[in-house]
Amino acid sequence: MSKPHAIVIGAGFTGVAIAHDLALRGFEVTVVERGPIANGTSGRTHGLLHSGGRYAVKDQESAIECIEENTILRKIVPDVIEPNGGMFVAVEESDLEYREEFIAGCEACHIPIEEITPQEALRLEPHLNPKVITAFLVPDGTFDPLRLALAFAATAKSNGAVFHLFTDVVGMVLDGNGNVLGVKVWDRANDERYEIRGDIVVNATGAWVGQITKMAHGHVPITPTPGVMVAYGHRFVQRAINRLVRPSDGDIVLPQRRMAVVGTTSFSVDDVDYIPIIRDQVQMMLERGTKLIPELGTAKVRGIYMATRPLIGSSGPGRSISRTFKAYDHKDLDNIDGLVTITGGKATTCRAMAEKTVDIVCEKLGISAPCTTKEVPLISYRRFYVD
Amino acid sequence: MLSREQQGLNWLLQWFDPRGRSIGGLAFILNRITALGLVLYLYLHLYYLRQLTMGPQVWNAFIDSAENSPWIGIGELFVIAGGLIHGLNGLRIALNSFNIAVPYQKQLFYGLFTLALIGIAFFAVHMFGA
Amino acid sequence: MSDEKWTVTFIIHRQKGPDSQPHFDEFTIEIHPEEFVLDGVEYIWAYKDRSLVFRHACHHTTCGACGMRVNGVEKLACMTKIADVTQDGGKIKLEPLRNFPIVGDLVVDLGPLYRKMHEVHAPEVIPLCASPWEGEGIKPPQETPKREDGEEYIRLPDCIECGLCVSACPTAASDAEYLGPAVLAAIHIQGIDENPDLLALADSREGVWRCHSAYECSAVCPSNVDPAWRIMDLRKQIIARRLKFKK
Repeated sequence: MSKPHAIVIGAGFTGVAIAHDLALRGFEVTVVERGPIANGTSGRTHGLLHSGGRYAVKDQESAIECIEENTILRKIVPDVIEPNGGMFVAVEESDLEYREEFIAGCEACHIPIEEITPQEALRLEPHLNPKVITAFLVPDGTFDPLRLALAFAATAKSNGAVFHLFTDVVGMVLDGNGNVLGVKVWDRANDERYEIRGDIVVNATGAWVGQITKMAHGHVPITPTPGVMVAYGHRFVQRAINRLVRPSDGDIVLPQRRMAVVGTTSFSVDDVDYIPIIRDQVQMMLERGTKLIPELGTAKVRGIYMATRPLIGSSGPGRSISRTFKAYDHKDLDNIDGLVTITGGKATTCRAMAEKTVDIVCEKLGISAPCTTKEVPLISYRRFYVD
Repeated sequence: MLSREQQGLNWLLQWFDPRGRSIGGLAFILNRITALGLVLYLYLHLYYLRQLTMGPQVWNAFIDSAENSPWIGIGELFVIAGGLIHGLNGLRIALNSFNIAVPYQKQLFYGLFTLALIGIAFFAVHMFGA
Repeated sequence: MSDEKWTVTFIIHRQKGPDSQPHFDEFTIEIHPEEFVLDGVEYIWAYKDRSLVFRHACHHTTCGACGMRVNGVEKLACMTKIADVTQDGGKIKLEPLRNFPIVGDLVVDLGPLYRKMHEVHAPEVIPLCASPWEGEGIKPPQETPKREDGEEYIRLPDCIECGLCVSACPTAASDAEYLGPAVLAAIHIQGIDENPDLLALADSREGVWRCHSAYECSAVCPSNVDPAWRIMDLRKQIIARRLKFKK
């Protein structure tokens, strides 16, 4: 019997992790991506390998996913991670109101934390606001967005997955009953159009899942929620600095190469292909960021960018929607066979998202193959280009 | 990282096109142009020296015609210019190759190029002045 | 900050597939002068021409995907402000990097660079002490803070493998086998004393002796690698070895 053929739409974190998982479970895998690897939300992530501390109070499902996946990613793809940890700091008396909840939340989610003195915090991070009242060390990390995606893609490719980059999905190949048989694509680098058929199509297009499901006359509840990030040209900190507050705007400063990146905001949009930079939000990042790192404003701005989170659900303001993920079989959702959609989640949880999605794919196709991505180390991201 | 076949004549353009180049790149271009000029001069030099083998009359006639032609003087000044620019820039590159003054390669170029210009002016005045 | 937008004409290199004839297309858009060239390219793709292909990922100079030539000079489009390369009513010419195979429009295949970086096993993460502090050139930091567990912090290296240096290098233009600035810098960072295989590569025909000192690599490097300095330092180290100053 020949291998089952899965078509994955999207080569962001979710898409490449799914391709990797599918390839390990014996699928023939074709990935179709309209741009290069990780050009959408994935590339433009903050780069925070979440310990889960940020969600430990209000969104424990997501927090538990984060701490589990954080541990796994450190093991399977150490090459793209700065495992320097993170710190939650209280800089105003009002921040302390959150302290008890934070400790209880982290304990409930099994996130190891350690409270340290302000002196100790300032010794570890000399650029920190000297008004720091208390600080917690958490197992956060920082990752290189493109290279994390490339490492999954390289490993998938070495296991036989085929990548069609700069190739848009322009339509679905449907049978008489509206079930999905494959995709119609447009290779923009060579201006060629053709069809790819497979046993299952996986829609891993994040904030763009709605555009793909529409082509199959299906639907999925999604709230695209962009946020701004500002990169300053000086590495003020060596670990992820979080404000000890409920998740809010501009409360994280991350080291990234020779930079410090401040984020982020949260608002809703309709068109996700191009999000203009909102100047007021950039100013707010500076003001909020300065509360954590007073010297922030002395460094030159090196980059400003907007990334669109794909939050699941269709109502409520962005901050109130869970950061967890969900995989949908459109057979259950819209009575359309041959199409599975995955969305929501965080970069940190991309491997778990892939596991869940491929579990559904395997169940649909009657294949019994266990997931092994927790154990299999990824190969170097450079191998994506080294055949 | 492209082969000669893939590059076509692009490499030649990249060697001599000054657009978008920094000081280091401009010095690179000047070094190539002066080197080609000096090589051309070397061959012309050898070609005319060949007349020495044809006897004293031939050589004297050539020297007479050369002394009366303004082009020879201008040509000589070009040789001097080429030699000074190439030689002094060569000094800069040689120093840099021992990792001396690499962060100051631009200033070194400005200084040595100015020195070359002064030298060229000196010889121009000496040869054509009054 | 003023909200006034500029009218800017982007003149963009177009080519479908490696073998077709290239041409230029013009797109005139309204854009804020404080926005970046990459924002303009993405806007053109979103609203003017969906067939445009370009590389990008992080939009903040950590990935190195968006290298291209802006008005003839190699730049990361994500950190190049509109106001720094044109004026209101002006033009911006965008071309793909040189010395790499064309994939389409503004996209080149950086595979050859990645392959060479792989060959010299350039490290993906490095100890903080191996990377200099800001504003101090390429000197290592005076004092590297230790983590609470006594171990050193590690960070991603400066080189983001964007290919700008290879595109700007006139030697790379005429010699496909030349290791090139990024790769030689990766050798230098690891040290030839510790890595005999790298010493052999650096001291080969296609190694440090092939460089012709145009210094364009360091002029265009967006990430403080300073490959030219590193190549010259490798030369010094190799000469010292030959003269037996060093064992």
